[in-house]
Amino acid sequence: MVWEPRIFKDLHQIPRVEHVFPGTPLCAGCGGLESLRLAAKILGNRVVYVNAAGCFTNLASFPFTPLDASWLYTTMGSAPAGAQGVRDALDVLIAKGRLPKEEDVTVVVLGGDGSTYDMALSSTSGAITRHLDFYYFCYDNEAYGNTGVQLSPATPYGARTTTSPCAVLHPVGAMQEKKDIFEIWRAHNPPYIATVSPRFPLDLEEKFTRAAAYQGPKLFLGFAACPTGWLFDPAYTPDVARLAVECGFWPLKEAINGMVTHTYVPKLSPVENYLKLQGRFRHLFEPTLQKEAIAHIQGSVNAYWERVNLAERTG
Amino acid sequence: MAGAARGAEPSSTNIKEGPAVISVRFHGRGGQGAKTASRILGTAAFSEGFTAQDSPIYGAERRGAPVSAFTRIAKGPIRERGIIICPSLVVVADASLIGDPAARVIEGIDERTAVFVNSPLTGEQLHTRISLPGRLTTLDLTEVAVRELGKRSALSALLGAVAGRLVGLRSESIDHAVAQELADLGVDASIIQRNQTAARHCYEAVSLVPVETSVHRGPGPTPLRVPAYEPPTRGTARITAGPNSAIRSVSGWRTYRPVLRPDLCNGCWLCFANCPEGAITIKPDGKPAVYYPHCKGCLDCVEVCPTDAMTVERETDVTNK
Ligand SMILES: Cc1ncc(C[n+]2csc(CCOP(=O)(O)OP(=O)(O)O)c2C)c(N)n1
Ligand code: SF4
Repeated sequence: MVWEPRIFKDLHQIPRVEHVFPGTPLCAGCGGLESLRLAAKILGNRVVYVNAAGCFTNLASFPFTPLDASWLYTTMGSAPAGAQGVRDALDVLIAKGRLPKEEDVTVVVLGGDGSTYDMALSSTSGAITRHLDFYYFCYDNEAYGNTGVQLSPATPYGARTTTSPCAVLHPVGAMQEKKDIFEIWRAHNPPYIATVSPRFPLDLEEKFTRAAAYQGPKLFLGFAACPTGWLFDPAYTPDVARLAVECGFWPLKEAINGMVTHTYVPKLSPVENYLKLQGRFRHLFEPTLQKEAIAHIQGSVNAYWERVNLAERTG
Repeated sequence: MAGAARGAEPSSTNIKEGPAVISVRFHGRGGQGAKTASRILGTAAFSEGFTAQDSPIYGAERRGAPVSAFTRIAKGPIRERGIIICPSLVVVADASLIGDPAARVIEGIDERTAVFVNSPLTGEQLHTRISLPGRLTTLDLTEVAVRELGKRSALSALLGAVAGRLVGLRSESIDHAVAQELADLGVDASIIQRNQTAARHCYEAVSLVPVETSVHRGPGPTPLRVPAYEPPTRGTARITAGPNSAIRSVSGWRTYRPVLRPDLCNGCWLCFANCPEGAITIKPDGKPAVYYPHCKGCLDCVEVCPTDAMTVERETDVTNK
């Protein structure tokens, strides 16, 4: 079954109103910021962002903020717990009649992959189990970025980070497989989970619009092409983000009440095209071509899409 | 801090016996190589037998934001630590930093301070646009980086070479230090060689100004100021006042600027959708417009434009931002 957008079919439908304003201290060409900017166009400004320490903490660094929404800063491990506190407080105030219902706000956890895949996982699991009504927006730059690009469980096989360098004993760099946080969330059975990419803005806007209909935990994994950590010129952010999807490395999908749908059918171009754009994979190509490592990455991507095709054929 | 240590027998001219220290302060934007430049200078001095010390400092902000780095060079032990307030030489990788108070470029500069600025303008031309008391010298390192290294931000070796020349280190020491520091960063041998060639060129090309050793010319004691009481409503009003980051200009981050050719624009809005900054707005006629004070120069809009209507122009003038 081919997924069809219901609303967003033309770029001119992207709302012109901004809720993430310019003048932030984030890197030029930050793919995560681009995803957030597009997401906020749908989320609006009646929002409390509950932020876990990371690059995006710099957004609201006193005395400046680019947001016309509220902001609560928490530790890396506890943003979902912070969200629970905010939600509960709002519910209590509304129940007591001290806050009119129409003045309610949406609670959005904003965290990097370090907190989402790693440090805040137990807090997240608790919040989903309690069916907390919140959004979780993870900008996934596949490393602990803010502290200088260290390995995180979201770092893919073969990527070089400062703590998974290309070295004699492990010439491929990171040897782990990227943790599948989408499936970890899905196992908790939340109403809505989606992956998005800033280079597919209509898909992104459509998903945020759809998610609004569901009460409970809603996860968005945003592909955060990161020029600083992935070592490419900021001008290539759109190309890196597009190729990640086209080569099948970053599938665009959603899961509504556990039912997974792929929202875009990629061309499955060779992963090399994607890897070659980024300095963090350069050691796979020079000084010696690490054929096996590249084949390994291609193999995991192929295996993923074979599973998808099989699942879709068998329904 | 890379720490202080002593190398082989000293050789150079500018650096005198005794407690005199040459202190060099580098200013750049994150990603331009100011930190590596300070290391190259320190390593080159060390290999000539001097005592050397280098350390960078950067805030919580990211690539593109102001960074400084410090190198101290002396014949004897260096007792100073930390940031350099009164530099002998200031090396500026990006002229737009001079006007940015957060970068603190002008701090501690007086008539005796040597100041190098990476700029296509001459020292005199720069003097007419910005008032800097120091002895000014310039060279267009960005042009060399683009031409020789194919990368606008590959300035570390070039900055290190210029600083080395100005403080009186030998070309061979710079050569060696460039190789060592870039190899430590995992840079390819062929690219290191190109950096060395470009660095040699800059070493020869920079016009000399005298660099004086300084026996710490620190500021005098600071009088203690008791702040007047302010009601709490004053200090925190702004943070609750909504998206105030827009009052900050990020123009200075750019090396290149995107320029729209309206005749080629088909009004598809891809640039508007892909600008991470929200620096592109849509005019009433449906065409995009770049608001330059909000543009960091990432050039994502140029990359996505299907009709090549977004073109690229290099930023040259420090004052037109
Ligand atoms: C418990 C804890 N450990 C370490 C830190 C230091 N720290 C601050 S930001 C950061 C990196 C966060 O990485 P990630 O969540 O991936 O976000 P990114 O920086 O990549 O945006 C770290 C380790 C912290 N704030 N709290
Ligand atoms: S380090 Fe990467 S994720 Fe963090 S602000 Fe910079 S580009 Fe964005």
